[in-house]
Amino acid sequence: MPNGRLLAAFAEAVLGEQETALTRPRSALAMALGPAGLSDAAGVVGLFNAIDRIADATGIPLEADTAAASADFRAALGLDRFSVAERT
Amino acid sequence: MTELYASTPMAIRDDLAAAHARAWAHVARPGSWWDGTTRVAIAGETRNASSCSLCRRRKEALSPFAIEGTHDSLGQLSEIVVEVVHRVRTDPGRLSERWYRGIVASGLSEEQYVEVVSVVAHVVAIDTMARGLGFDPLLLTRPQPGLPSRRRPAGAKPGGAWVPWLEPADAGDAMAGIYPADRPAANIRKAMSLVPEEVHSFFDLVAHQYLPGTAMRDFSREYRAISHARIELLAARVSALNRCFY
Repeated sequence: MPNGRLLAAFAEAVLGEQETALTRPRSALAMALGPAGLSDAAGVVGLFNAIDRIADATGIPLEADTAAASADFRAALGLDRFSVAERT
Repeated sequence: MTELYASTPMAIRDDLAAAHARAWAHVARPGSWWDGTTRVAIAGETRNASSCSLCRRRKEALSPFAIEGTHDSLGQLSEIVVEVVHRVRTDPGRLSERWYRGIVASGLSEEQYVEVVSVVAHVVAIDTMARGLGFDPLLLTRPQPGLPSRRRPAGAKPGGAWVPWLEPADAGDAMAGIYPADRPAANIRKAMSLVPEEVHSFFDLVAHQYLPGTAMRDFSREYRAISHARIELLAARVSALNRCFY
């Protein structure tokens, strides 16, 4: 995906601890996507940083159809070894 | 543009700025189970959690439960609420049902717990976006007077999650606009339904900071300055970094 690496690096930097490490990924993303794209990207990172916490703090399981549809690649990726997988 | 971002170096979509203004006002108002003063204190403690030395030791430990101690708190909330705020803020991927049951056994009600989680989530959503853009965090709003409503939806009951929730058949009007009419409700929409007002507020944020429900699967057009594919790449990367199984 075009700019995929920039997007991933931006997300990692936003969630990281070093403020200084954010400057370059932010600038790079702004140059690639423009201010509106940067703003929307930051919005998505923020929203999912929050919604992940709701999911984890309330202990919701995967929906039955999602669990069925993801069974093969969860197994392939070894995701079911994590204790939270017991919720599903 | 709302005053909230009037002095920032970069423009924010008007609808998003308005959504943040609504969310910030919601945090400062009395909720269902906490008054405005407590809710603003929870917001402040959410920000403070990032500098907590106990949380840092727990995060670095193989198991957070192996580390005992006292949180570095602002001193405005009970220890049990501080524990919830700090754990949800700093190490959500390792929360457990045993930990949650212990919280409830210690005296926090399930409803109060859900509302704490919601306030933390509102703050994290907005603060993280600000960090991404290089903005200073928004100033916390002055708490609004009044008492919490203490209304628990009659149809809430134990389900597949740790917390009781409202199934669509039992929701009545409480979740209108949140639960879809034409397909089963996703568990993330049910997650905080024990406190419907929090769901309505948070999913208002979702609609503007991410995408509205109808737009999430509408690949016939793009709704943002970045494509659906790029949005989902960001969402997946964040969730992987947070070790969020769901």
